[in-house]
Amino acid sequence: MFKKCNIFLSSLFILAILKAPLLANESLFYKEANLIGGYSNRDHWVGKSNDLTNAVGFEDYRKFSNDYGDYLTTDLQVRLAYDSMQNSHNAWGIQVHNAWLLYKMNYAAKLRVGHFDPAFGLEPQLDTHGTILQTLMMKNIGFKKDWGVGLEGSFSKFDYKTALQLGSGMGIRRRDDSFLLTSRVGTPASQNFQYGLSFLYGRVLETEDMKTIPQDKLLSDQAILKKRVGLDSQYLFGPYLFKGEVAYGENDSKKVLGYLGEIDYTIPKYQNWELELQFQSWINKLGENSSADSTLTLGTTYKLNQKTTLRAAFSHDFNNMNQKEESKVLLQFYYFGV
Amino acid sequence: MLKLLFSVLFLFSIYSNSFAAVGCSLDDPDRDVKRLFPESSGYLTKFLTLKEIGGQPLLNSIEKKLGDKFDVVYEDLDVPYAYYTILKGKDPIGYIHGVNQKGKFGVLQIVLATDLKQNIISFYYQRISSPESGKFRSNEFTAQFKGLTLADFYRYNILDNKFSDGPVAKIVDYSTNSPEDFRATLRGIKKDLILLDYFLHGQVK
Repeated sequence: MFKKCNIFLSSLFILAILKAPLLANESLFYKEANLIGGYSNRDHWVGKSNDLTNAVGFEDYRKFSNDYGDYLTTDLQVRLAYDSMQNSHNAWGIQVHNAWLLYKMNYAAKLRVGHFDPAFGLEPQLDTHGTILQTLMMKNIGFKKDWGVGLEGSFSKFDYKTALQLGSGMGIRRRDDSFLLTSRVGTPASQNFQYGLSFLYGRVLETEDMKTIPQDKLLSDQAILKKRVGLDSQYLFGPYLFKGEVAYGENDSKKVLGYLGEIDYTIPKYQNWELELQFQSWINKLGENSSADSTLTLGTTYKLNQKTTLRAAFSHDFNNMNQKEESKVLLQFYYFGV
Repeated sequence: MLKLLFSVLFLFSIYSNSFAAVGCSLDDPDRDVKRLFPESSGYLTKFLTLKEIGGQPLLNSIEKKLGDKFDVVYEDLDVPYAYYTILKGKDPIGYIHGVNQKGKFGVLQIVLATDLKQNIISFYYQRISSPESGKFRSNEFTAQFKGLTLADFYRYNILDNKFSDGPVAKIVDYSTNSPEDFRATLRGIKKDLILLDYFLHGQVK
């Protein structure tokens, strides 16, 4: 199936090239720098959060068009990252986050190829690339992007996304017949009250960290059979933005459940300043004590200008999967601009 | 094969033409274009920043026309804009342009669709944080802007919130407790029309 898929994708890519000169009509180039550090009562001084490391990178976004309009969008988002928790040999790595092309077939259908969000839950609706607060995606699937192909589109009342990916996350590889099939149907992002219903089925590989080059190490050559159904929602009301998601299903034969609730508050008088409160929990084996990983985070975000953001967060992990409880303070300097 | 495919993608990204810009863009242009221009067959996206096309002198000139200073967070020189030329076949039939505007509780994302003469065909909020968002998004409210032009908005003085007659003076605020968002909407639409005019014609009228 995947060989046929590869031939199809390559053909599509060649067709896209032949359709017009190989030049982007419009493009955007961002530079990015992320400095993060803090103190944890378990690990003491830390130079990373659960999902963010110190890094520099870029994002290159392009639109290709011909006389009849735009037909292709590409995005390449890459970071050179330093993980202070690793030894010096493994600390540096290149992370390819977005690397996709989106081919417009018609107004209601677009084909996405490359490395992009699985179509499940809140994650594809939000930009968590540079934020301390994250969705359930890492705990749910184990990664936020995967390599593969997707079909997506929009109608007047709802959007749909579906993706067939390798089940490998950052690395381009298949082991143990790994794959990941995800699908989400939801209301348009422009509505104040949004909600979506997601499904996931796949054999997913678990990795040790988050690198594309050198390729991150697998925790096991055995893929985990994952099945999920998920609900997510966002509600914007005055200065408040409420976010929530829940995912339920199985990892092999174990029942799993995850849920997240978040309130963001923009200070009306100083709209570059936001306060955030999030609680998320992931239960790896329903009904078993100490299988829950729950975290409460209080954060604040202050935008110095369009490009530069300062963040601070206090988080408390209540159980951390049988390890002792952990409290952590993180500070972040984040630059993202042209 | 996949590795080869993405290597090629990476290379052609590097070697194609690039200029620095970023989009204050539509969440879903395909849906919006089809809804606002049902007869359209496609659209062209253009990205711009004031820094690239004129810098501080241009910003000063636009502020003068607007009658208000730009906000540091929402409207500085690096803020990106995207406008869309709507096509029927190869022929342009209109434009869509959106701006960010500081509202009472947060950003308003105001989007205008115009014909080729920049008369407003339609106006909507891509994002509005007001508790009265339903009233602002209602057809009853947004329909009042249909047919208005930049010339009409030049009769609106933002700082004094005063109108020198004309159709903008007749627009009714249907909200009960959100006059700040009503004023922000008028300011945002005026700014949107000034910027679109400049992007299309290269001068501030």
